[in-house]
Amino acid sequence: MAGPMEQFAVKVLHPINAGGYDLSFTNSSLWMAIALAAVSIFLFVGTARPQLVPGRWQAAVEYVYDFVRRMLDENVGPEGRRFAPLIFAIFIFVLACNLLGLIPWVGAFTPTSHISVTLGLAMLVFITVCIVGFARHGLHFFSLFWPKDANIALGLFVFIIEVLSFLSRPFTLAIRLFANMTAGHVLLKVFGTFVVSLGSFGALPYVFGILPLSVNVALSALEVLIAVVQAYVFALLASLYLNDAINLH
Amino acid sequence: MPQFDFANVFLPQLVWLAIFFAVLYFAVVLPTLPKLGRTMQAREDQVTGDLDAAEAAKASADKLAADYDAGVAEAQESARAALNAAHAKATKSLETKLAKADAKLAERVAAAEAELTEARTKALGEVEAIAADVASDLVEQLTGKRPTAADAAKAARAVAG
Repeated sequence: MAGPMEQFAVKVLHPINAGGYDLSFTNSSLWMAIALAAVSIFLFVGTARPQLVPGRWQAAVEYVYDFVRRMLDENVGPEGRRFAPLIFAIFIFVLACNLLGLIPWVGAFTPTSHISVTLGLAMLVFITVCIVGFARHGLHFFSLFWPKDANIALGLFVFIIEVLSFLSRPFTLAIRLFANMTAGHVLLKVFGTFVVSLGSFGALPYVFGILPLSVNVALSALEVLIAVVQAYVFALLASLYLNDAINLH
Repeated sequence: MPQFDFANVFLPQLVWLAIFFAVLYFAVVLPTLPKLGRTMQAREDQVTGDLDAAEAAKASADKLAADYDAGVAEAQESARAALNAAHAKATKSLETKLAKADAKLAERVAAAEAELTEARTKALGEVEAIAADVASDLVEQLTGKRPTAADAAKAARAVAG
């Protein structure tokens, strides 16, 4: 039986080597492509002919878009609307990867359970925040780390803490998503193995497998919730970091 | 954990993520979402406009209703005034007619009374004459001598007293 970690194994589907660098098309790439395709269908069908009275697809896309826009309005303010497409893209890509990875099929793979992927997305947010911050405020952006009305000694102390916390943001952002996805899938797989091992108890087959199976059903519902919530948290934190860069305190 | 096998999994995933996310952002999200955003804005504008128009229509309808109420009240007021005037006029004319009729009636009563008095006086006079006559007759039969008319009338008047 496959171990609980085997579901995270990256398998090369099509080896690509560019100038000595390994850029192989893997199952991770495949599922990112599937997520991209799903999001593309959702968006292109939903906005094919935008109408004042929306149809079902358009209403669904509008719902998600409005959700992101409201999140930006609340956390960033009117300036945040410009970043709605970026936050929307991050949110829906993470959401699609999270949900597609939950398909109970042996070939399913969750790209967001890999820290390489989540760190890539987190670095995108981090770099965007830095660019926006320095573009809007120049070197004044460093005042983000300086506490208001503090003397030099305390100010320096807080400055160091603030810089460290700012620099650790992409890592906490990446690790939060990766850890949630990984833990959920490990848990599902562990209880899945329980179903098999308890269900194949020789004297009374199947009966004892029911308990871990029902746990797995409940866990699946929980994992769907976590998939949505973590995508939301990722987008929410991205918009909060953007707020720091746009509206210096 | 395969996730921490960075030597093998980091670069290919990051590169494909960059490719797919770039495609997602530039080729999928940017051509579709702003279009949808404009539609949503247009809808919002139209709803706001419709609400404003509805509010204006309601205000004008309210004004019409108020005008109508005022007109009805005014008409009622004038109708009441006309009614009062007509009533007063009718009362007055009735009173004059009644007074006139009363006067006529009083006149007639007075005339009748005068006539009656006259007739009574006349009748009394006649009764006195007859009494005198009868008394004269009685005296003549008893005494064989007829008293004078003046004496008879005097006696009769004394009896009638």
